[in-house]
Amino acid sequence: MESKRKWAGASALTVTLLLSACGGGGPGSSGGDFTGGKLVLAVLNDQSGVYKDASGPNSVKAVKMAVADYQKKYGDKAVVKKIEVTSTDHQNKPDIANTKAGELYERGGADVILDVPTSSAALAVANQAKNHKKLFLDVSAATTALTGAQCNKYTFQWAYNTHLLATGTGATVTRNGGKKWTIIYPDYEFGQNMTKSFTAAVEKAGGTVQETIPTPFPNENFATFLTKAGSGNPDVIGTMQAGGDLINLVKQFNESGLKDKGVELAVGLMLINDIHSLGVEQFAGTLFTDPWYWNMDAEARAWADRFLAETGARPSFEHAGNYSAALQYLEAVQAAGTDDADAVVAKLEGKKVNDVFLRNGEIRAQDHSVVHDANLARVKKPADVKEDWDYEEIVTKIPAAEGFPPAEASGCSMTS
Amino acid sequence: MTQSVIIEAPADGADVPVTASHPRVRWILLAAGLVAALALPWFLYPPVAMDIVALALFAIALDILLGYTGLLSFGHAAFWGSSAYVSGLIATHYGVPFPVAVVGGAVFAMILALPIGYVSVRRSGIYFAMVTLAFAQMVYFVGYQWSDLTGGENGLQGVPRSFFGLELVETDSFYFYYAALPILLFGMWAAWRIVHSPFGRVLVSIRDNTPRARALGYDVDKYKALAFVLSAGLTGLAGGVFAISHRFVALTELHWTTSGDVVLMTVLGGIGTLWGGIVGAFLNVTLADYLASSGFGGIDLITGSVFVLVVLLFRRGVWGTVRHQWNVRRLRRAAARRAAPSYSSPDRSSRHPASGEGTGR
Amino acid sequence: MSAVLQYAVQGLAAGSFYALAALGLAVIFGVLGVVNFAHGAFYMLGAVAAAVLLDTLDLTLWWSLLVVPVLMFGFGLVVERLLVQWLLRLDPLYNLLLTFGLTLILVELVKQRYGVSGLPYQLPGGLQGRFDVAGVVLPRYQLFVLLFSVAVCALVWLTMTRTRIGMILRAATENPELARALGINVGRWVAPVFGFGVALAGLAGVLAAPFRAITADMGNNFAIILFAVVVIGGLGSIVGAVVAGFLVGLVEAFGQAYAPTFAQILIFVLMALVILIRPAGLFGRQEATT
Repeated sequence: MESKRKWAGASALTVTLLLSACGGGGPGSSGGDFTGGKLVLAVLNDQSGVYKDASGPNSVKAVKMAVADYQKKYGDKAVVKKIEVTSTDHQNKPDIANTKAGELYERGGADVILDVPTSSAALAVANQAKNHKKLFLDVSAATTALTGAQCNKYTFQWAYNTHLLATGTGATVTRNGGKKWTIIYPDYEFGQNMTKSFTAAVEKAGGTVQETIPTPFPNENFATFLTKAGSGNPDVIGTMQAGGDLINLVKQFNESGLKDKGVELAVGLMLINDIHSLGVEQFAGTLFTDPWYWNMDAEARAWADRFLAETGARPSFEHAGNYSAALQYLEAVQAAGTDDADAVVAKLEGKKVNDVFLRNGEIRAQDHSVVHDANLARVKKPADVKEDWDYEEIVTKIPAAEGFPPAEASGCSMTS
Repeated sequence: MTQSVIIEAPADGADVPVTASHPRVRWILLAAGLVAALALPWFLYPPVAMDIVALALFAIALDILLGYTGLLSFGHAAFWGSSAYVSGLIATHYGVPFPVAVVGGAVFAMILALPIGYVSVRRSGIYFAMVTLAFAQMVYFVGYQWSDLTGGENGLQGVPRSFFGLELVETDSFYFYYAALPILLFGMWAAWRIVHSPFGRVLVSIRDNTPRARALGYDVDKYKALAFVLSAGLTGLAGGVFAISHRFVALTELHWTTSGDVVLMTVLGGIGTLWGGIVGAFLNVTLADYLASSGFGGIDLITGSVFVLVVLLFRRGVWGTVRHQWNVRRLRRAAARRAAPSYSSPDRSSRHPASGEGTGR
Repeated sequence: MSAVLQYAVQGLAAGSFYALAALGLAVIFGVLGVVNFAHGAFYMLGAVAAAVLLDTLDLTLWWSLLVVPVLMFGFGLVVERLLVQWLLRLDPLYNLLLTFGLTLILVELVKQRYGVSGLPYQLPGGLQGRFDVAGVVLPRYQLFVLLFSVAVCALVWLTMTRTRIGMILRAATENPELARALGINVGRWVAPVFGFGVALAGLAGVLAAPFRAITADMGNNFAIILFAVVVIGGLGSIVGAVVAGFLVGLVEAFGQAYAPTFAQILIFVLMALVILIRPAGLFGRQEATT
């Protein structure tokens, strides 16, 4: 019935499926065995909405760069000659992400799905990966649920999570003298998790969180919240807003005069594209955690130059994360000699990695969190900017062991 | 089923159809529709096929209000989404077969529609659209804030798909489609029954001339509220199946853009045609599905342009235009045969999607 | 106490945007009978235009306050002639649907052209800084926005009540048949009025540019709240739109201060209450409700 159905729907299908239907063997038998005779890396992300700049089409290009590098490295020794990179737009809608992921695994011949921004979409795709027993390498979604309560054997979280953002910024700023905190957060899952993690990190570092202020989402008017936050005379106002709301808040923070009173602004999640589109003036002095910065060392910079030539922009950490995830996936396929998901997972688990993106990296077997060193960054003053995209000054390194929660605390159980 | 609203309940109240639909055509269309519904998952990825049928019922349910009662609801996402959540929660916590969960969701949508409908139907036209929008926003915020129950922004993940232990249905969306299809077809049949019942005729007369309906002794508000609740219930059936099919519920189901999408589908198919919703849903879903993998980023550009073009040039919608052409041709032929002028009025529904009066001004 | 004052000022400043934009919505509805769903998109275009003018031609906020409304007026004329006018004789729901589609198009075009992360904007020096009066911090720009929009609203009100054009328009609003019978060519005013309403939305957008995120999506949520504003004030009522605009700003500010979780829901609760108790809105004529 299974194959009959596929034949009947042949008009919509490609050669891939015909090959998979009569290719024989099937996953499981090892030794140069690839479904459809090829490897398909499917990038599923937001190509049209708010996450388009931070990841979007340029993440597809980053993945293609990884494929090119893999082919260059192994040449004739590559276990698979034909590698396809496909791109799908989930339009920032979780139900489309969910359907598309299923379709990519079942009909698009996808061996792995990459990226998938926003937590709701990523969690849905993780469920699809589990049901289809195919790989999902999350790069852009930050929820710890992916490596915690809702973790599964086929899902990896590559670049960062809310815990990293919180401990990095919260603990370091507190140690540098920002003892009294007030946190403003959007009142939904991401904001609440971030606030919990921040509070824990600040208190562990010897500071206090005197007040946490929930805000609606989306929201344009933060003046009242900032007045409230400023009334407690904190050293630092931490904001967990993202995207347009973050810009609203930063503009109104600058307007409010709190900066002149010596109140610092620490941001939970910010991408270099936010700074690029708004100009450094607005953000100057802001502290935030950047899992990876294109100008942090020579190796990163060399890759960023290639990326610039390819796309006309400098990469965000999400672009670099997609490159790294694709590259390490290909390495694991090379080692396994097959695209069989279980075999590839076995090669990935526990591997220690160093590449353009991952410093001191480890693909943890227990919870599939890919841990690595990150950075605490400060936005430069306009006068210090030497070239386009030169916006960040690295304040300090956040070691992997400190930034990511210990695997035992993740609450992940791979057996289910 | 090819009869038009106007023909069934002319404004002058005469119950004499100007044209009678050809029964044979009706049966052919019905058979063709059923075959298409059964064949759909052979040609499309089954969950996409399921989306089409579920959204088709959603659009049809909206048309009961928009096309037959003259009320544009801009807040139907509240019923679609809340039923999706309730169905998902029932399935998750009680493990009952999914049709039970879906019915539970639909019942909840109807209960929710009672107070909303009671308040909203006191206004018509533009005001009604805005009031329903405001209520839908409230429901959205509840779904968004009550994250212990709904999962908030993350959505309700991992909704099970129980079906009497039949593993094929529970795991394979191809078989699930056939298990869920009867629920949606029942919804469509119910919609057809509603608009063709005496109750439906009263609705149309309210749409065409509210003061007159009132003068005839009908409790106009009660009829409108009942139509609202019934429409919400059918919307709930569709939303519940949608949730179980996706095995999760996203907060976007409650968002006002979902209300906008379904209005688009109804308008695209043809207001007051009932079955136009099927065409609208089919076009909308397949277009979105195609564009997602096409590498073309500006999906709203196309959606918006289609909307503008349809409203400007094809106000009858796809189904309405085809039906109109068909009727005109048939009438001409009949007129030629009998040499008697019978077709006089242009299709009035093209000028008034809703009531002729009641613009809220 | 000073906190309450502070919230009040912030609420009124936020209300300024609602009042200005809602005024445009009300004027358009009054004369054309069109509910302009694209009003949020026009607000967004105003802000984007200000940012682009600053970036490319170095036109500061002062110039934008003059130039952008003129541009938006022209754009409004085009939209009215090209699209809206064909549906004026039909049920108003058609124009609601048309402008809904137009919103999707405009937002998407801006996304394609200017990206999704937003555009930068700098205040001119004269408007930076703030006054500190007895513990109440008043950013200069907030005060400016408040005074400016009150002045514009007053000007519109005077025009509508004291000038010939205003009389004609009010006559056209209240009784188009009679106005026509008196030999007033109402049709002549339709396009300019639409353009004028669009210009007001654009003006609100320019004022918002310095302290709101300038993104393609900035008008979406704004438009929804705007609908609540005009329903509360009474559709088509000019005074109602302005008063309700400031009122909603205040409700939002105090809601945020004392019940942050419910701040946004409050506006819609207020709207539902108004509809229950005074179906035509606070300033709408009660007999013309259905």
